[in-house]
Amino acid sequence: MSLSDKEIIKRLEALAAKVAAQVMRGRPPYIEIPVRSFSNTIWDEKRKILRLGPAKARREFLDSKEVKKFMQTLLMLSLIVTARREGDYPTIRDLYYMGKHTITYRDINGRPRKEETWNEQRESNSIIEDIEVAVGILREDMGIMHDAKGKMVGNVIIRSKGHIIDCSKMGIGAYAIPPNPDRLEIIKVEADYVLVIEKDAIFERLNQEEFWKRENCVLITGKGQPDRATRRMVRRLWEEFGLPIYVLTDADPYGWYIYSVYRSGSISLSYESEKLACPEVRFIGVAASDIEAYKIPKNYVIIATDRDLKRANEMMKYPWFQSEAWQHELKLFLKRKEKVEIEALSGHGFKFLSNVYIPEKIEKRLWII
Amino acid sequence: MTILDELLSAEEFRGLSPAEFFYRNREIAGFSNPVRALYQTVRELVENSLDATELYRILPDIHVRISYVSREKNIVKVSVRDNGIGIPLKEVPNVFGKVFYGSKYKLRQSRGVFGLGIKMAVLYAQMTTGSPVLVRTASPKSKNVHEFQILIDITRNEPIVVSYKTMNNTRGWHGTHVELTLEGNWSSARSRIVEYIKRTALIAPYASISFEGPGIELSFPRATKKIPVPPSVGKPHPRGVDIELLKQLIAYVNSSNQAVTLEDFLVKVFDGVGRKTARSFLKWAGYGPAISIDELSIEQLDDLARKMKGYGKWRRPRPLSLSPLGEELLVKGVRKILKPEFVTAITRKPSSYGGYPFVVEVAIAWGGDIPSVDRPLLLRFANKIPLLYDEGVDVSRKVIDGIDWSVYKIKFPAPLAIITHLCSTKIPFKGVGKEAIADVPEVERELEIALRETARRLKRHISRIERQYEVKLRYITINKYIGEIARALSVITGKESKVFEKKLSEIVEQKVLKGGGRGNESL
Repeated sequence: MSLSDKEIIKRLEALAAKVAAQVMRGRPPYIEIPVRSFSNTIWDEKRKILRLGPAKARREFLDSKEVKKFMQTLLMLSLIVTARREGDYPTIRDLYYMGKHTITYRDINGRPRKEETWNEQRESNSIIEDIEVAVGILREDMGIMHDAKGKMVGNVIIRSKGHIIDCSKMGIGAYAIPPNPDRLEIIKVEADYVLVIEKDAIFERLNQEEFWKRENCVLITGKGQPDRATRRMVRRLWEEFGLPIYVLTDADPYGWYIYSVYRSGSISLSYESEKLACPEVRFIGVAASDIEAYKIPKNYVIIATDRDLKRANEMMKYPWFQSEAWQHELKLFLKRKEKVEIEALSGHGFKFLSNVYIPEKIEKRLWII
Repeated sequence: MTILDELLSAEEFRGLSPAEFFYRNREIAGFSNPVRALYQTVRELVENSLDATELYRILPDIHVRISYVSREKNIVKVSVRDNGIGIPLKEVPNVFGKVFYGSKYKLRQSRGVFGLGIKMAVLYAQMTTGSPVLVRTASPKSKNVHEFQILIDITRNEPIVVSYKTMNNTRGWHGTHVELTLEGNWSSARSRIVEYIKRTALIAPYASISFEGPGIELSFPRATKKIPVPPSVGKPHPRGVDIELLKQLIAYVNSSNQAVTLEDFLVKVFDGVGRKTARSFLKWAGYGPAISIDELSIEQLDDLARKMKGYGKWRRPRPLSLSPLGEELLVKGVRKILKPEFVTAITRKPSSYGGYPFVVEVAIAWGGDIPSVDRPLLLRFANKIPLLYDEGVDVSRKVIDGIDWSVYKIKFPAPLAIITHLCSTKIPFKGVGKEAIADVPEVERELEIALRETARRLKRHISRIERQYEVKLRYITINKYIGEIARALSVITGKESKVFEKKLSEIVEQKVLKGGGRGNESL
């Protein structure tokens, strides 16, 4: 389903051509961009994924509050078009630097002033996302790279640029998931399930123990909030090989939200859920109810902050957290006001997590969705 | 007791010469110390010069000069020269040397009342330095210029002409030049005098005034050739009488005629009194219309004066005896002196208090050279005289402080100046200093109406400026990105960047600058 460079260039050019035509006709130009906010996010109940709604906003040249973004959008568009025309694969950081110009002008008092086209990468990243939704092409497909941070280990064999990579032969390391996993060929998977771990430290510990070999599973971590490549890889393993996916996070609202990103997509990137979300992802822990169920020692229990509580309250209202099990967990959290890290399970010994907790949760089907 | 009462009683009962009385009570006329005395002398001379010109529709040219005679002893020479109608030869000694002699004892608005001030200045100079006043004067078309040096015989209240000479008026000059040598503290009076000259130039924009003092030279050329219509000599209003005025008026009428009836007296002497009004009043007051005014006793006069004050059905006083500056001239004066960005003025319709007609004029000036201040800068005038002292107790200050200026979009500190001008045949001064106007309800009300109307106009101006500012800001905000946008479009489309730049500039100019003032959105 990958688009050709020619098709991509055509679509990007079309967006600019529309603006150019407006300008040449002397009409105040604008760019129409689908709104990427919670209000324009639709929960697809049937498919259990977050999708982008129909709302579009006009980014107008003559709107003094929007004109900078209007400029930034065209600037970014020109950078991407140029990269595609020349066959370059810039990272989002490259694009940030390439587009960072200094504009000089005189302010209302006639004093000379300087302004950067953008001041931080967050701004240029956001513009890239705008362009993705405006032209309907994911940035990976536009040849834009990012610093991938996902890792994977297990009985998976991959072909990449003609080389065969065996993800079970990484020694004490792991396979680094590249920015665009769609350019990989997954040749063979011999595993019963995929375990996605929020934290790199826990991933490393389980890899050290060769947990994946013993349990015959694939271990993946996105190191906190997962990037798209990690999510895409998880999705492919689920979609193409029918593996059940289990997620292990800290027992706090941030951990649980990370689970929901794997499952349903994120609010800010809901337009790409179709390719990234895994509606059947199972949450095995750590749940709020585990604090009591597993008798986690008091010294591991942390008092929830106001921010945690606020976040949990917001999550209670999200359509994709409406299941009975999740409502129960969130209510329990709000009542107890306690959270724990995955490491808290070490209170029952260092091997408790790998020997008891994870296998028991999977065996006894103690996950929630 | 008023000063007048005191004076009259001094004259009548104690045999004290008015000159002597003034000499002993000089602080009443503002000559209490060398600072006030110098300021007061300049004022008296300048105001006489303005009266000698503008009342006769002559565009005033006034030159004021102060120089040191002895810096150590604080002796200064003040000279003021004008291009007025001059003083008739015979009158000169009395005008400068006899207290209570003057042409101003009439009911019309003029700057000085009674013309007493100039004699006080002469007396003060004589007292502190022993020098006579030097007067040089010529009437229009006069072939000669007359020069006098005059002293006052204080006990007899008579002028002493020290010297007199006459010169050929070769240049066809007319006007009056007065020089006084007195003890005066220039360094302390300097700022007040400068302020006084500036404000005088403001309220008389048709005058050309130059000022020269030790270390300073100012010149205010005239901003207009229009002079307001001079006030006509008015009759007194019946409600404004007291027993003394009544006595004087009766004496005036009697001197020219034989027996005058009360009814005739009222009709003839007072403003706005016809036969019908006179009869209605007399009936109400319990006097027969045919009584001769000679027959009235002191007690009856007292009763009559009280009833005239209290009668509610007099017609309102006519303002013919007033000469406000008018909106146009006031605006010109303010522009000339304060150099504001915006100024607007209002001359209210005539009104009256206690039988005296008055007109209130207000101007509001904003921005430009006016410094930002924490509360409105106030410039007060009464009958075209700048009031510099006692601002805190003046009715204008009271009214201004009672207004919530934020309603008019003014946030302090703000470059705001307010000019108030009260014209009346009798200014309701507070106390003897004649520097503050009392809070008479009628005056207060007129001031507030005028102030609020000018403030509303200022608000409209500020709103307009704000809108213009916003349009300009929006223009700059959008315009600065045109280069980047044009370049990006050029890269993508392959068309020249210049073409996009030109088109985008046109769109911004068309829709933001020309269509300015509309909301932030296009279309």
